[in-house]
Amino acid sequence: MMVARMGMPAVPNREDIKATWKYLEDGITRIMNDLEQGMDMQMYMGVYTAVHNFCTSQKAVGLSGPTMTTSHRGAHLLGEDLYNHLIKYLQRHLADLVQASKSHTDEALLAYYIKEWNRYTVAAKYIHHLFQYLNRHWVKREIDEGKKNIYDVYTLHLVQWRKVLFEQVSEKVMDAVLKLVEKQRNGETIEYGQIKQRPFLSATKEFYQAESKQFVAENTVVEYMKKAEARLAEEEERRCCNQALIADHSLSLREEFQVLLDNDREDDMARMYNLLSRIPDGLDPLRTRFETHVRKAGLAAVQKVQSSEGDKLEPKVYVDALLEIHTQYQGLVKRAFTDEPEFTRSLDNACREFVNRNEVCKSGSNKSPELLAKYTDVLLRKSTTSIEEADLERTLTQIMTVFKYIEDKDVFQKFYSRMLARRLVHSNSSSDDAETSMISKLKEACGFEYTNKLQRMFQDMQISKDLNKEFRDHLETVGNTKAVDSTFSILGTGFWPLTPPSTNFIPPSEISAEIDRFVRFYKHKHDGRKLTWLWHLCKGEIKAGYCKNSKTPYTFQVSIYQMSILLLFNEKDSYSYDDISGATELSSEVLDQALAVILKAKVLLMDGGDKPGPGKTFRLNYDFKSKKIRVNLNLGGVKEAKQEEVETNKTIEEDRKLVLQSAIVRIMKARKKMKHTQLVSETINQIRSRFVPKVGDIKKCIEILLDKEYLERLDDDELGYLA
Amino acid sequence: MAEAKPASQKIWLVSNDNATMEVDRAVVERSMLLKNMLEDLGGADVSPENPIPIPNVNEAVLRKVVEWCEHHRNDPVAAPDDESDARKKTTDIEEWDQKFMQVDQEMLFEIILASNFLDIKPLLDVGCKTVANMIKGKSPEEIRKTFNITNDFSAEEEEQIRRENEWAEDR
Repeated sequence: MMVARMGMPAVPNREDIKATWKYLEDGITRIMNDLEQGMDMQMYMGVYTAVHNFCTSQKAVGLSGPTMTTSHRGAHLLGEDLYNHLIKYLQRHLADLVQASKSHTDEALLAYYIKEWNRYTVAAKYIHHLFQYLNRHWVKREIDEGKKNIYDVYTLHLVQWRKVLFEQVSEKVMDAVLKLVEKQRNGETIEYGQIKQRPFLSATKEFYQAESKQFVAENTVVEYMKKAEARLAEEEERRCCNQALIADHSLSLREEFQVLLDNDREDDMARMYNLLSRIPDGLDPLRTRFETHVRKAGLAAVQKVQSSEGDKLEPKVYVDALLEIHTQYQGLVKRAFTDEPEFTRSLDNACREFVNRNEVCKSGSNKSPELLAKYTDVLLRKSTTSIEEADLERTLTQIMTVFKYIEDKDVFQKFYSRMLARRLVHSNSSSDDAETSMISKLKEACGFEYTNKLQRMFQDMQISKDLNKEFRDHLETVGNTKAVDSTFSILGTGFWPLTPPSTNFIPPSEISAEIDRFVRFYKHKHDGRKLTWLWHLCKGEIKAGYCKNSKTPYTFQVSIYQMSILLLFNEKDSYSYDDISGATELSSEVLDQALAVILKAKVLLMDGGDKPGPGKTFRLNYDFKSKKIRVNLNLGGVKEAKQEEVETNKTIEEDRKLVLQSAIVRIMKARKKMKHTQLVSETINQIRSRFVPKVGDIKKCIEILLDKEYLERLDDDELGYLA
Repeated sequence: MAEAKPASQKIWLVSNDNATMEVDRAVVERSMLLKNMLEDLGGADVSPENPIPIPNVNEAVLRKVVEWCEHHRNDPVAAPDDESDARKKTTDIEEWDQKFMQVDQEMLFEIILASNFLDIKPLLDVGCKTVANMIKGKSPEEIRKTFNITNDFSAEEEEQIRRENEWAEDR
């Protein structure tokens, strides 16, 4: 026995269900039968705490015996025993009420019913609060896991009331009600006081959702009849007007709607909306028309830009076309249809259709998200035609309007992250603020996970900045005089959509010494990390002091591949193709591409032919001339960009398979067992915010997981989770 | 019950180690448990002599929780079913809360337990996010160090667990 501290409630042993229940039963009985007596804080707190303590005890001594199932659940929540005890208690309590009701008839029965209902529901509210801990954890978990017939404690009271009491006495009670109404019709005055309260209306929101509208419907009959009688007369009158003035002409009104839409007659549409909103279902046909109209307008707009621009379709032109239609009809919904939610929904449906399925998307269903991402890249990239900060922010918000309608949000993410990577690596982002703003918009729309990697990419750049500073400081302290001015970016493998180069490469000696110094510095700082060099992203500048025609030396902006080629010419003036290839170890494809730009700019000259290749010789051009002092030779070909596009699209399918598998595992881990068809539809539900999965693909992924023994087949088309 | 309940009405709480403290009703009502209780018991005559007993919380922790409630007394109350993704999914913590949570681990866990008991969801969220941030980005070994957990897995067991949860890893 526990000794109570001053003013502290004496709470039973948390692990003892028998003692706990005994304690709770006393409390509940008090609330059910003696609430007028009042309840003190000690008791209130005591009951709440007993529930809490039982639900949080490590190993409750359950009455249901040791359950094997408990070990299966990630974190087992206790509460089932309490819940079942409560049900039994309520059933006993209500059975007693049924028994007692038998001694009443007619008005007396009605009075009894209402009195008991009031007492019971007030008590239910108290008990609901006292069992709040059970509601918040065990009940919530059961409901989340899809268990049927589990309710929060208040709803449980209502459900039991219906099951045990209402079904037994409802007929008699209804008879009593009808008799009363009839008396009133015949002019008798009735003591309304006794049924003035609202005995049946107080069911909670959860209840409507959880179970039966029917229950509420049945129980509100009394209320309804009273109201109906009172209102019927005026209602009747109004209905006659609506019928004569509107409904009888609704067909012709609706016909006219298309004409109004075609001619943008907003005021008239607003008038029509007002009239038709007065009759039941009057607006539905309008909404359907509106939706079709907007969809067609969107498709037409896309077709127009497609046929005038063809393959050269600029992302901006495409996105602007989509936005124009959206803006136009959003304005109409606002001005003519008072922003009514159903019309907004029709607008959304139409937009989703023409954004995802239109003429441009025919060439590939990923086209819409791809173009949208590209337009965003154009906006965020440093360029000569930079737009004002405020304009940029507004345009990004518009981008999000279209983004909202995109179904394949994962495709957008892919392209966006590739292009962000490029902007960051080449440091040609127009503004950090705009980048951050865009990421937080995406985060708001799709959640933390969607933008996690994007944010990590930013962090990596920041960390690299600090790291470079440390490296420079370190070099100074060891007294290293630097031949090259270097900057390194350390990019986390998991976060950047980058792959190592496919070619071999030996960096020029001038640079490799610096690289070695950095690697030693870095490994000392972070032991055990593996560095992979992304040569194809490296670039630099070299000064050329040999040119006869210029006093100031030219500066060449080059890729590191080009740098390794040009630095060879410090030694002698002419090399064969094989010499260069041997010294750099570059694959012929990469080497040819690097040489092509150098040759085109006439920094090197080639003897014979126009394409670099084996057998050709290259000479340094001492007569090199250029109007600009800085010459950019680091020009990635169009070919490269196209190739990246193809690659990006290829990885999407692979990634989707993994996303599907992880969703399936997540679902099964929570549910343990599930029917095949149920699992498929649950998976679609979970994935829909990213892309629209094909049922066939889901089935394939389930097969893969069965093979990998994450899942097993059970009887009756059920699947089980194997931990 | 027609009596006025101004936000500045005083309420007294007593911790399980018998320390009484005076708090504004508006502050106390950040706890759904205490809010419901005050409403349900209507005329409950809370006074310095008859304070509300808080059985599962000691003085140090209760003072800390009250401090949080004081600071957040004017926060809008979220709807009970508002499990909006934004709030759930991010591990962002506002600056004041971050500072508030700079306590030793034992206190941190006590605060979490108390906010769970008292039903103060936003405080529970902040507490859990704080712990989540202590775990985020760490290797299993680092996590063990942080929380003082002895590794009682065999190498095989550890490998098996890793394999089972492969799908959850960052790609």
